Amino acid sequence: MFTLGSVLDNDFKSTIEDFSFETEFSTNQLMLPNIEKPFEFAQSIIGLEKDLQENENQLMFHQQKKEERKERALIKGYKGTTTLAFIYEKGTVVAVDSRATSGQYIASQSVQKVVPVNEYMLGTLAGGAADCQFFLAHLGRICNLYELRNNEKISVAAASKLLNNILYSYRNYGLSVGSMICGYDTRGPQLYYIDSDGSRLKNSLFSVGSGSPFAYGVLDAGYRWDLSKEEALDLGRRAICAATFKDSYSGGTVKVYHIDENGWVKISDDDASELWYRYEEKEKKKK
Amino acid sequence: MAGKNCVAIAGDTRFGVRNQTVALDSNRIFKINNRTLFGMTGLNTDILTLRESFKFQMNLYNLEEEREISPKTFAHNVAQTLYSKRFGPYFITPIIAGLEGEDYTPFLCATDLIGAMEFPKSFVVAGTGEESLMGVCETFYKENMEPEELFEVVSQCLLAAVDRDALSGWGSVVHVLTKDGITTKRLRTRKD
Repeated sequence: MFTLGSVLDNDFKSTIEDFSFETEFSTNQLMLPNIEKPFEFAQSIIGLEKDLQENENQLMFHQQKKEERKERALIKGYKGTTTLAFIYEKGTVVAVDSRATSGQYIASQSVQKVVPVNEYMLGTLAGGAADCQFFLAHLGRICNLYELRNNEKISVAAASKLLNNILYSYRNYGLSVGSMICGYDTRGPQLYYIDSDGSRLKNSLFSVGSGSPFAYGVLDAGYRWDLSKEEALDLGRRAICAATFKDSYSGGTVKVYHIDENGWVKISDDDASELWYRYEEKEKKKK
Repeated sequence: MAGKNCVAIAGDTRFGVRNQTVALDSNRIFKINNRTLFGMTGLNTDILTLRESFKFQMNLYNLEEEREISPKTFAHNVAQTLYSKRFGPYFITPIIAGLEGEDYTPFLCATDLIGAMEFPKSFVVAGTGEESLMGVCETFYKENMEPEELFEVVSQCLLAAVDRDALSGWGSVVHVLTKDGITTKRLRTRKD
């Protein structure tokens, strides 16, 4: 249904002299199906697998009121994941789990939920995997082009704003993106939360996903601006581990990344369950 | 699962509400007498209620009949209790496993929520991960397994199936019933 063809064609046509901001970063580059009322069709096909069953019934009952259908289209949840990120004095910490569920079936325990945008920026994946992966990779291309044209690294604020504008133009098409853009630029460590509803929020800590309430509990309790690097990494790891324990739809492995002025580095990749048993033993030893 | 003059029941011990795990030690497998084990999955409140209900019925049976109930009779009792609530059912899937008669033949029974009984010879499964369990039991089941081998097979089947189901895990227990008694072991499962 959606192809990359038109996206690549557009970039290939524009030359350096013909630098028109409009065509370069213009939205609606993705092809829409060649039918009547493509907008309504797109609304009825929501990206998350488990909604497909309901949507097949929706197509049958196309006589239903527009409000009802619109409400159903807007019902989406970032199910089956926990991702978190926070900034502190020395940089940005990003921690994610790696489970993908379709309903209650565990589809995979080894999903890559962190997508590198460039050497000093990471994007996290929550919601529809394909949506997040495509748009984050697209953001990476745009950032690269910006660097080549302007001879300076793009700021995290600008990169997140570009993604935000693109996603806003696809608002109500049924995309599901709950991504965090985390990086380190001239202003220091930066963190933005980007949503497929069109929100763009700046804060010092975020957690996204079905396990986010549980991660927030640990994160909020231990967060300070002046953490040391080891403390910060440990905090991120513990928060995701707590979320994987409490939330059934999160699990697999806990991956922790750190971003500072030298770029991003993958710090650790631990099995969530083993980590929990290790923390339990440490607590027993303390007592 | 049934073996040679022995049966084993295994289950996880998670109690959760939708996606949140609330307790890690909810036991759902109960001993009726030295010959019968009874496990249930489904709505927790119905599990607790029926545990008390069957305990009461079995105590009464012991006093009146002055003997232990056989697994087959108990299974029929379960089915009758469930059907009595045909139009407002208990939301559980029970499993009965026991050793029948003088020569301790393995007996397995599974029913649905309104008491339709099934007596397979090999294994019975129930729960949120029952489809995974069915597949993995089918693969690893052999006839006439000795108690040690039966314990290994049942443990591996449970762990494999539970790791593919988001709503199961967080601790598990295996009971092996032979003519010498019941052996209970807890397995180290994934807590995510």
